[in-house]
Amino acid sequence: MASWKLEGSGKLTFDRVDRVVVGTVEGAVSVVGTDGEPTLEVLELAGPPLRVRHEDGVLTVDYERPPRPGLLSWLSGWGRRYRAVLSLAVPRDCRVELRVISASLMVSGLGAPVRARAVSGEITLAGLGGPADAETISGSIEASGVSGDLSAGTVSGDLTVAEGGGSVRAHTVSGAIALDLQASGGRDIQLSSVSGDLTVRLPGASDWQVQLQSTSGQVASAFDELALDRTPGRHAAEGRLGAGTGRLRATSTSGHVALLRRAPETQA
Amino acid sequence: MSQVFSHGRLRLYLLKLLDESPRHGYDVIRLLEDRFMGLYAPSPGTIYPRLQRLEADGLVTQSQEGGRKVYRITDAGREELARRRDELDALEREIAGSVHGLAREIRDEVRGTVRDLRQELKQAAREIRREQRSENRSRRDRGPDHHRWDWYDEGLDGRLSDILDRTNRAVRRAQLTEAQVRECAAILDEALQRIRQTLKTGPGRPRDH
Repeated sequence: MASWKLEGSGKLTFDRVDRVVVGTVEGAVSVVGTDGEPTLEVLELAGPPLRVRHEDGVLTVDYERPPRPGLLSWLSGWGRRYRAVLSLAVPRDCRVELRVISASLMVSGLGAPVRARAVSGEITLAGLGGPADAETISGSIEASGVSGDLSAGTVSGDLTVAEGGGSVRAHTVSGAIALDLQASGGRDIQLSSVSGDLTVRLPGASDWQVQLQSTSGQVASAFDELALDRTPGRHAAEGRLGAGTGRLRATSTSGHVALLRRAPETQA
Repeated sequence: MSQVFSHGRLRLYLLKLLDESPRHGYDVIRLLEDRFMGLYAPSPGTIYPRLQRLEADGLVTQSQEGGRKVYRITDAGREELARRRDELDALEREIAGSVHGLAREIRDEVRGTVRDLRQELKQAAREIRREQRSENRSRRDRGPDHHRWDWYDEGLDGRLSDILDRTNRAVRRAQLTEAQVRECAAILDEALQRIRQTLKTGPGRPRDH
């Protein structure tokens, strides 16, 4: 096993990496796909040294002694800073697992599974072909061009998906979820919230089996094909659009649920 | 809507692409993908509005050629580009020189795009909700039962869940004595009684469902 201890900014390259695991605290972690040599760049480092290990194609970046004993002591200003700003370039079929506290995370241009966990950090996903799984408590999740299946969860952070191409399963307590979806293609979209608003935009000609529901929020739909039910305590819209090949379900307790129709693209 | 075009760096890069040669929208998108090393391709839906914005600002013009729009830089566009050349060069070096520069560029682009989208959807959702409410209201006004107010439209529904929510929180936070619990229960009962009274005595009869 090769191992390094980084005390400051610097750059390392590796021969083969097919899985990367990062566990840091604050700062930023970016992972991008590359056809070139796997590379780790550390741009900023404040606090204890970073530990880098490389064995059997698994690259691990973390601290030898992470903040202890858990989150609370770190939040209460237990002492040292743990700030690291780092970027990784890895092969496009490399699996990625990131776990941080407040660092912002960005993953782009990969085809393999991606898993990102943060407490207050923001998560940005761009151009991913494989399944992506993102969770943050108070940070937001932003995804663009994610064609694989996406699973996302927040407590208070917003989730926004531009050009979603796969199935989406998302839950939030008070954050807002907004999705802009392409053609259905038999996908399964499931959104739920307690008080956050759920908004989904579909192309004009869409094939979805739709079920929208909110206990006390307003349910609105731009598609007349859907039947609205507005009894107190259950506001819902249900029905089939086109061939109904995809399934769309959005359920909220007190958030508003809106289904929008995208105007045909102004093209050139 | 000015927020939509807040990411000035991409705007600068669009100008540079059009300075090299007039281009179709799809060429621009393909070249942008190259710029992000194939990691990420901005969608037509995010690029066309920006080109339109550049046009509105007089920095590019567009014309129809063979059924497709072709964008060209104007003199004003060249001036803008010349004025910000250093900025652009520095940016290019940063992107080409390190994983970090590239990653940051993609992140900024995605964040900008996604935030614009979030605003746009939020706005559209608000509009459709407002439309739906006023539609319901006019249907109600036209209907045979003029006095019937839809509690849902008037926000009572939201109030109800809000009050439940806040009561819940207040109760959970407090250390309640038995007497307080009884008193709170009595207050709730009384509120319900009074609401029932109001419904009985009002001009509108109880609702038919």
